[in-house]
Amino acid sequence: MIRIVVVDDHPALRAGLSTVLRAEPGLVHVGASGGDDESLWPVLDTARPDVVLLDFHLPGADGLQLCLRIKERLLAPKVVLYSAHAGRGLALPAALAGADALTSKAAPARELFEVIRRVARGERVLPPVTREQLDQASEQIGEEDLPVLGLLLQGASRTDIAAALALPVAEVPDRIRRLLGALRPPIAQDTL
Amino acid sequence: MRLGAARPSGVSEAVGRRWAVLLLASRVVAVAMALGLLAVDGFGDRDVVLALVGSGYAVVSTAALLGSGGMRRRLPFWPVDSAAALALVLASGDWRSPFYLLWLTTLAAPGVQLGLRAATALGAAAALAFLGVAFVGGPVPGTLGATSSETLAIHLALPGLLVLSLAYAADVLRRLERAQERSEQLGLAAERRRIAWELHDSAKQRVHVAHLLLTALRDRLDGDERELSGQAIVELESATAEMDTTLADLRSPLGGRPLHEALGERAAEMSVGGSPRVEVEGSAGELPEPLATNAYRIGVEAMTNAVRHAGATRVRTVLADDSDCFRLDVFDDGRGLADDRRGTGTGLSAMSSRAATLGGRLEIEPGPGGRGTTLHLEIPHPKGPRA
Repeated sequence: MIRIVVVDDHPALRAGLSTVLRAEPGLVHVGASGGDDESLWPVLDTARPDVVLLDFHLPGADGLQLCLRIKERLLAPKVVLYSAHAGRGLALPAALAGADALTSKAAPARELFEVIRRVARGERVLPPVTREQLDQASEQIGEEDLPVLGLLLQGASRTDIAAALALPVAEVPDRIRRLLGALRPPIAQDTL
Repeated sequence: MRLGAARPSGVSEAVGRRWAVLLLASRVVAVAMALGLLAVDGFGDRDVVLALVGSGYAVVSTAALLGSGGMRRRLPFWPVDSAAALALVLASGDWRSPFYLLWLTTLAAPGVQLGLRAATALGAAAALAFLGVAFVGGPVPGTLGATSSETLAIHLALPGLLVLSLAYAADVLRRLERAQERSEQLGLAAERRRIAWELHDSAKQRVHVAHLLLTALRDRLDGDERELSGQAIVELESATAEMDTTLADLRSPLGGRPLHEALGERAAEMSVGGSPRVEVEGSAGELPEPLATNAYRIGVEAMTNAVRHAGATRVRTVLADDSDCFRLDVFDDGRGLADDRRGTGTGLSAMSSRAATLGGRLEIEPGPGGRGTTLHLEIPHPKGPRA
């Protein structure tokens, strides 16, 4: 039994996913939210999902930052970033935001179910980050953020990062946020 | 030409027509006044000849000015026109000539086309020329009474005032026209962005949902039904792909940047690490929207082809924007296209059709010395009467 919460601003998508998930044995749709603060956090508190299906492009909120905040929770659920364009541009930011998977909205239902089952088992289903993407990313970010990027990609925890960089642990989330802000693919080009 | 329909160029045509009517009216008034003044003096023998030559000349030169639009813009014509009218003034034997007004009207055409600085110079030159006529034709300045000196001063000042005020009015009109064109383009771009967002934010999401539901359903079906749902899924996938293409077309890839900057940026992306070397040279002026976007896409396609398919190590893109034609040339040192492939292939035919939509011409040929490939793009781009 895998408990799933859907976060998407489009009602048709929430309704459709709820229907599809309900019909699939072993998966339970336990709640949905439009991605706004008023509905999202209460839903996560009461539904206690194993997996969150999170839209990348949300009005008024950035899916990546939201992913980061969800993963910062105690007993954080697995997060599947669900995007209309799960293109190459998103692979690195998704990994840095702590997402467990990146899936295209154009993928057939079976593929989506498969991804949900795999992340629920503890796997990460992210496209590999290429050398080219890393080169490009290192040009986009500040020099002091480079070690944060490297450590995050190696799967280091917040306390590891704080120790390695001699930073207070409380400052690490802000550094990651800044890093993500710099790497965010421009909506108009890559994600539209 | 199809480009004309897409460009809001009607404004300048209307303004041009209004100038022409104004010019014609001023000439008619000038000739009528000259004849009237000659009549008031009582036609002498010389006056009859002058009246005939003067009005005949006025008719011919006005017809030439209005008849061929090109004539108006050609530099050598109006100095000849103006000098001829000044000769009439000289021939009438007194600088207080009935043909003075006709001479003034010959300065209207250059006044409308010149910039403010050139118009000031023209006004000064005209005053000097008239002063010369006054000295040669008499009565000589310096020997005049106070009233006549004042009249001379007015005669000398009028050309400058006329030319400057016309140049100023024309300048304001040109600016207004440009601002209008710009705001129309901005409005168009905003509308396209809005449509793109709606298409992406709503319609495409619904197609994704339908696709998801159908793929879930297909997994529960067998035989014919499974095949049917499979076909529906393929259709939905094509719909998504087509929506993506439409979205890409709706968004202007330039994002308000000038063409050479946008192309240069893409070139820099392609030549990461310096190999291959992809460069963009030259620049184009302000281009109307459909032209800029299509030229950008053709340029990017050509550079990508050279790097990806021809294995070029050096790609040079040169932009030029002449008075009535936009040009883009892409030179590469790659493998070159086999003869039978020229003009075929989806990339090439897409480029050709983009060029054709704009009424332009696309040519692809072997590079200089048979090495590599050269692409020439030429799109007519008349800039109207603005100098």
